[in-house]
Amino acid sequence: MTETTPTTSLPLPLRVGRQRRWQVLPIIEIVVLAIAVLLPFVLKDYLTIYATRVLILCLFALSFDLVWGYAGIMSFGQAVFFGTAGYGVALIARDLGVTSILLVLPAGLLIGFAFALLLGGFLLLGRHPSSVIFVSLGTLTGSYAADRVARGWYYLGGQNGIPSIPPMSLGSYDITEGPVYYYLTLGILLAVYLLCRFLVRSQFGLALAGLRENEQRIAFFGYQVQRLKAIIFSFAGAVAGLAGSLYAFHEGFVWPNMLGVVISTQVVLYVLFGGSGTLIGAVIGTVAIEAVSFWLSNSYQDIWPIILGVLLLLVILFRPAGLISLILSERERVGNFGRLPEEGDRGSS
Amino acid sequence: MDNLFVALFEILSFGAIVVLVVLGLGIIASMMGIFNFAQGEFVLLGAYVTYIVHSAGAPVWVGMAAAPFAVGALGFVLERSIVRRFYAAPIVAMLGTYALGLIIREIVRGLIGGLYLSVPEPLGGSVNIGTMHFSSWRLVIILITALVMIGSYLLLARTAFGLRIRASLENPALARASGISTNAIYGATFAFGAALAGLAGALIVPVFSLFADLGLRFLIQGFVAVMVGGVGSFAGPVAGAGVIGTLAAALPWIIPPVIADVLVFVLAIIFIKFRPQGLISGKGV
Repeated sequence: MTETTPTTSLPLPLRVGRQRRWQVLPIIEIVVLAIAVLLPFVLKDYLTIYATRVLILCLFALSFDLVWGYAGIMSFGQAVFFGTAGYGVALIARDLGVTSILLVLPAGLLIGFAFALLLGGFLLLGRHPSSVIFVSLGTLTGSYAADRVARGWYYLGGQNGIPSIPPMSLGSYDITEGPVYYYLTLGILLAVYLLCRFLVRSQFGLALAGLRENEQRIAFFGYQVQRLKAIIFSFAGAVAGLAGSLYAFHEGFVWPNMLGVVISTQVVLYVLFGGSGTLIGAVIGTVAIEAVSFWLSNSYQDIWPIILGVLLLLVILFRPAGLISLILSERERVGNFGRLPEEGDRGSS
Repeated sequence: MDNLFVALFEILSFGAIVVLVVLGLGIIASMMGIFNFAQGEFVLLGAYVTYIVHSAGAPVWVGMAAAPFAVGALGFVLERSIVRRFYAAPIVAMLGTYALGLIIREIVRGLIGGLYLSVPEPLGGSVNIGTMHFSSWRLVIILITALVMIGSYLLLARTAFGLRIRASLENPALARASGISTNAIYGATFAFGAALAGLAGALIVPVFSLFADLGLRFLIQGFVAVMVGGVGSFAGPVAGAGVIGTLAAALPWIIPPVIADVLVFVLAIIFIKFRPQGLISGKGV
């Protein structure tokens, strides 16, 4: 096994079969899913409501993981799509009286998609390729600006946001918070997760991972790098929009913070903490942070943000791949697309 | 006519504050290639030190004089222990310094609670010219900003230390080969940038009063200013801060404040999009 294969050698699909024996990732995914399915049976009602909120945030975290963990686009403004979709469906429910789940969720998805297409198109496309710093500052500024506009716009309720949104409905049945909403969210999360899983394991996902690792090389292969980025950014925006509309109906109100820098950076924390570049990492990070936050918030409310900051710093310094890297090998975290990386291939550029 | 002068004075003094805040940020970004997300919290710490010294019974100006040194020392320690690990990766640096900023901000929030604490101006009253009144403290801020700007420029452009900083910026390998300890230079530069932020915080706390999110409002403004001005030079961030500060202070006189606030950022981002190198391109001083 010591011979060095030249980088131009053909893929060796034969070797995949032998590595199938110890795949930790599917086991983790199934365990997490099983826990999520069984959870409402053991939790008290108010905890089920809290768990629903966490699931929605997981969906939101997935959207950030797609852009940062896979395509290497630092989006400090993911809350823009989350919040605008939330505000959008709130307005639809308030002013048009439409609460049917079959209409409002696709509407939220479309709003998130449209805003992401606009912002992403502006920031990412164009004659000059945008620097990473510019994109992150641009998204951060977008988030700040959206927050300010929502606060100052009377139609959107100003500082107070839009209170008492009517519940989502399916026919004549109102979907209120509780186990039904929980399983609805879980179903949507599972569907989106599977879609993302398929996406990142496809040829498109391979190109994205290439973008993250070495953008220039992907450009030399003839990919339209900027277009790839804009596509994944818009797709992630749609996912964030879906999460935002679920969140708006679950909480029953929307307020300017939903658009702002605080939520934008919170989702960054979730994903970094859990492990960016794996979809399950985003979910685990969200659940871990929210669970500890819930547990600590009664007794240590004041120092919790400090602990969170210290934890984040420690993760960035010592575990850049996040919590998930404690149980998942590097090789499996990165994923394989046919040919497994040789030890000698890594780090040589 | 009088109103115009008063408005101009307001704009000028706010522009000076933004320049003061951005100067440290710009020096760290230009000289080290790091976007320091904790810069806003250094401003907050400067304000906090001033408040602490004042509430201990000492005159306000003592606290203001102590703040840059305290914050600079902390900046040096942080650079040595944490920030130096981030040089290779600018995005990780942003996240890491963001985490640092979060820690500092929340500690200060824990210490002062959710309160707005006021610190008196060390120099009260106003200068009257005819029927116009100009707050003396704001005049002092403008004056100190000008002095700090000139001082920083001279330090970077005219001294041996500045030469070493610029050498480490342009070609770290060659600088090391010439016997310059780039590690020490980076530490000192970061500490200097932090000290400037501390000074800014100390000077503006009588105007804005002390609250935990004090630094946050300047952070985004500062970054946008640095990008508009152009990373890599001394003049770039200063020019950018002048433009952003002037616009941010002048537009609310013409259009509603909320729209003005957002418009400044939108215009700035569009400008950066089409001129990524900023107002002043090129490296050096």
